[in-house]
Amino acid sequence: MEVIVYLLQGFAVALSPLNLMWCFIGCFLGTVIGILPGLGPAATIAMLLPLTFKMDPTGAVIMLAGIYYGSKYGGSTTSILLNVPGESASVVTCIDGYQMAKRGRAGAALGIAAIASFIAGTVGVLGLMLVAPPLAKFALSFSSPEYFALMCLGLAMVVLLAGESMTKALLAMLVGLWIAGMGTDLFTSTSRFTFGNAEMLDGIDFVVVAIGVFALGEVLGNMEGRSGTQMLPVPKGLRNLLPTWQDLKDCRFAFFNGSVIGFLIGVLPGAGSTIASFISYGIEKAVSRHPEKFGTGVVEGVAAPEGANNAETGGAMVPLLTLGIPGSGTTAILLAAFILWGLRPGPLMIQDNPTLFWGLVASMYIGNVMLLVLNLPLVPLFAQILRLPAYVLYPAIFGISIVGVYSTSSSLFDVWMLGAFGLIGYAMRKLEYPSAPLILGFVLGDGMERALRQSLMMSQGDLSILVSRPISATMLFLTVLILVAPLFKKANAWRVRALG
Amino acid sequence: MAKSGDIVSGAVLAGLGVFIIVEARGWEYAGPDGPGPGFFPLWYGVCMVALSVLLVAMSLAQRASVPAEPVNWREIGRALAAWAGLALCVGFLKILGFLLAFGLFTFFLVAVMYRRPLGTAAAVSVGAALGFYLLFPLALNVALPIGKLGF
Amino acid sequence: MRPISFIVALTLVAIASPIAAQGFKPTKPIEFVTHTGPGGGGDVLARAIAGAMEKEKLMPVRMQVLNKTGGGGHTAMSYLVEKRGDTHTIAVFTGLWFTNPLMRPEANITLKDLTPLVRLVLEPAMLAVKNDAPYKTLKDFIDAAKQNPGQLKQSAGSIGARDWVVRQLLMKNTGASWAYISFPGGGERIAALLGGHVNIMLIEPQEAGEHIRAGNMRVLAAISEQRLPAFPSAPTLKEAGFDVPNVPQPRGILAPPGIPAEAVAYWEDLFAKFVKTPSWRKILEDGLFEDGFQRSAELNKFIDQYSETTRGILREGGIKVVR
Repeated sequence: MEVIVYLLQGFAVALSPLNLMWCFIGCFLGTVIGILPGLGPAATIAMLLPLTFKMDPTGAVIMLAGIYYGSKYGGSTTSILLNVPGESASVVTCIDGYQMAKRGRAGAALGIAAIASFIAGTVGVLGLMLVAPPLAKFALSFSSPEYFALMCLGLAMVVLLAGESMTKALLAMLVGLWIAGMGTDLFTSTSRFTFGNAEMLDGIDFVVVAIGVFALGEVLGNMEGRSGTQMLPVPKGLRNLLPTWQDLKDCRFAFFNGSVIGFLIGVLPGAGSTIASFISYGIEKAVSRHPEKFGTGVVEGVAAPEGANNAETGGAMVPLLTLGIPGSGTTAILLAAFILWGLRPGPLMIQDNPTLFWGLVASMYIGNVMLLVLNLPLVPLFAQILRLPAYVLYPAIFGISIVGVYSTSSSLFDVWMLGAFGLIGYAMRKLEYPSAPLILGFVLGDGMERALRQSLMMSQGDLSILVSRPISATMLFLTVLILVAPLFKKANAWRVRALG
Repeated sequence: MAKSGDIVSGAVLAGLGVFIIVEARGWEYAGPDGPGPGFFPLWYGVCMVALSVLLVAMSLAQRASVPAEPVNWREIGRALAAWAGLALCVGFLKILGFLLAFGLFTFFLVAVMYRRPLGTAAAVSVGAALGFYLLFPLALNVALPIGKLGF
Repeated sequence: MRPISFIVALTLVAIASPIAAQGFKPTKPIEFVTHTGPGGGGDVLARAIAGAMEKEKLMPVRMQVLNKTGGGGHTAMSYLVEKRGDTHTIAVFTGLWFTNPLMRPEANITLKDLTPLVRLVLEPAMLAVKNDAPYKTLKDFIDAAKQNPGQLKQSAGSIGARDWVVRQLLMKNTGASWAYISFPGGGERIAALLGGHVNIMLIEPQEAGEHIRAGNMRVLAAISEQRLPAFPSAPTLKEAGFDVPNVPQPRGILAPPGIPAEAVAYWEDLFAKFVKTPSWRKILEDGLFEDGFQRSAELNKFIDQYSETTRGILREGGIKVVR
C-alpha cells in the first residue's frame, strides 16, 4: 500500500502550478505534432532538448513525456479525416476511421479515438505504476525467438485483413516484405536492393510508404471524378458529431483489448506501437460478431488501434524507467535527456529519484485528462474541415504530404519516393489489392527477418529453438490457428453446401 | 478492370519475384553463423512467383466464364495527369522551391483538373502557398524545400 | 603620386595588414554536424562540446548542432563535401566514418576526402557478463569458449563494428570461437545479456555504469590502454594476459574539404585550448572517455594507420573490402 503513499506524493509534485504548466505545454505541443503528418514526437523532443537544460528535470521530463503521449492523441485526426496517417501508429486507424468519415460519422470516429486513447492511456499509467518491476523482468525473458513469433502473429493478421482476395492480400504483404528489406543488412552490412544509390542505404522511411500508399493513393483515386465540390459528407447532428452511447457500448471490449495489448507490446523493447495497433485491430476483428463489417467503418475498428497506440507509451516507459533500456526511438531520446540532465537511468533510477518517478506517473494521469478535455471539444471543430471543397482540400493534402515527408529527413529523394508510392497506392486501388497488408509486411518484415536470423544464430541453426521456448511456442501455435481457421470455415461451408 | 488487370499485375509481380530471386542468389544464403542476407529474399521471392502465377491462372480460368469489365481509361487518364502534375512539382522543388512549385501545381489542379474559373484557381493557389508559409516555416519552424530563388 | 594619397594608401595598408595577419575568425554561427540522431553518441558529444565552448567563452559565435543521419555516416560525409570551402561548418567523426567506406561500395567518401582537424578522445569499452555468469575473469570465458566452440554467444553491433574487431582479434589470438549476434540498438543488446540469452557483450562504460552499480552486470576486462578510473578492478586486455592491440573508438573533429590553411590553424588552436579547460575535463569524466588529443598532422597519420589495420582485420575475417 506504500504505492498509494508514493502516488499521493507524486500528485503533490505534479499538481504544482509550474509542473501543471509544463504538462499542459507538452500535451498541447504533442497534439499539434500528432496532427501534422511526418513530424513526430522524437524529432520534436530532440529539438526541445537544449531548451530543457535550464529547467528542473522533473518539469522537463513531465513536458517531454506529455509530448510523447500527446502525439498519439493527435495522430488520429488526419487519419480519420483525410486518410493521411499523422503518425506511424495511426496507420491502422485510417482503415475504419476514414470509412466512418466517408459515411458522415467523422465526428463519432474522432470522439471514439479520443475516448479510447484516454482509457488506454490511463490503463498504461496504471500498469506502469503497479506492475512495472515484474513486467520488466518478463520483458527480459523475451528474446529473438519470441520476437519472431510475435511478428509471425502480426503477419497472420493479414489473413484477417484480407478482404476479398487472399492471394492479392498475400502478394501485397510480400511486396511489403520486399520494400522492408531494402537497405543495409544489419548482420553483414551487405546492401540489398539499393540500386547503387547511397540514399537507399537506410531503406525507405515508413512515413514515405504510409503517406504515399494511403493518402496519395486515395487522392489520386478521387482525381478520376470531375466534381470539385464536397469531398466527404459533413457530419450533421449530434449523433454524428460525437460518439453515441451505443458506440461506447460496442467498444467495451475494444477499450480493454487496446489497453492491454498496447501496454504489453509497449513493454517489449523494439516492438513498436504500429505492431500493437495491428494486433489489437486483428484481435478485435477476430472476436467480433460482425467481422465482415471491419474495413467499412465500424467504431471498434477505430477504438482498438487507437487505444493500443496510446497504452503503448505507458508500456514503453517501463523498460526505460525500471531498467534504463529504451524501447523505441522516442524513449531513446528521453534516455539521452536523462543523461544530459545528470540523472542516471538504470535499475536504480526509481530508487534514487522517487520524486521524479512518482511525479511523472502522477502527471501522466493528469496529462491524459487534459488531453481528453483538449481533444473532445475540438472534434466538431475538426469535422468542419470537411466543409472545404475538394479543389481546396486535395491540393492541401498533396502539400501536407510533401511537407510531412520532407520534414522528417530533409531529403528530396524521399519526396520522389513519396510520389512513386502514391502511384503504387493508386495502382493498388484500381487493381483491387488491399493496402493494409502491404503496410503490415513493411512494418514487420525487417524485424521478423532479424529475429529469425538472431534466433538461428543463438541455436546454431536449430529451428526447434522456436518451439522449445514456451512463449514463442504459444505464439506460433496461435499464429497457426489464425491461419487455418478460415480454411476450417471454408471446409465447413463446403460441407454444408454438399450436404444441403 | 479487375479481371484483365489481374493478369497484368500477376505477370508484373511474377517478374518482380524472379528479379528478387536472381538478386538473392547473389548474396550469401547461409553463412557459418546462420542464414545470410540471401535467405529471406529468396523465400519471399519464391512465394511471390508462386502466388502471382496462381493469380494469373485463376483469372484466366474465370475470364472464360465471366466477361471482363470495360476499363474506363478516361478516368485513369485524369488520375495519371494529376500524378504527372505532382511529379513535375517534385521535380521543380529544387529549382523553384516549395512555395512556388506547389502554388503552380495547385493552380494546375484547380484550373485544369477541376475546371474552376481562373480567378478561383489563382486565389486558391496563392492562399494555399501563403497558408503553408505561415504554418510551417513561421509558426512551427519546419523548413520547406528552398529553391534557387531563395524561398 | 601626390603626397596626401600616398599617406592615405600607407595608412590603409597599415590598418589592413594586422587584420590579414590575424587569420581566420568565425563571424556567424557554426554548423556542428553529427551523423547520429538526437540522443546518439555523436550528437551527445557535439552538444556537450557546444555547451562547454559557450561556458568557457572560447568562441565569439554559437555552435549549432545539425543532425545528418543515415547511410552509416555517409549522409553526414556527403553533406560536408557539399559544403566544400565553408569555414563555418565542422563535424564530429567517430570510428564508423573510418570503417563504413571500407565495406560499402555506395559509401564513396572517405576521411581523406575531408579535412581532419583534431582527434579528441578515445572511447574505451568493456567486456561484460551477467552477474550470475560462471566467468570471473576473461580467461574463464575464453576457456569455456574453447571447450564449447561456437556455443557461447556475444550480443553486438554489425560486422565491422568495434565489437566484431575485438572478437576477431581475441579469437585469432586464443583459438577460441563463439557466436556473434547482431542487434540494432544498445538497449536490445543489454536486454539480451540481462535476459540470459547471450553470454557476453562489449559495452561502453557509460552505458554499463548503472547496470554494474545495480549489481546486474560484471566487467571482465577493459578495452583501453590504462585501467579505467571508474572501474579500477577491471584489468586491461594486456593485463589479463591477452596480447592483442587495443581497439579504441576514436572521436574527433573535421571540416569540409578545401578550407584555407588559416581556418585549419584556427580550429586546431581552438581545440588545443579547449581540451585544457575544466569543462572539457568534466566531459571526459562524465563520458568516461580517454583523452586522445592529436592535431591534424598526427591525426592524418593515425587515420592511415587505423584504416590499414582495419582493412587487414576485415580481410582476415572474410569480409570484402571495397576501398
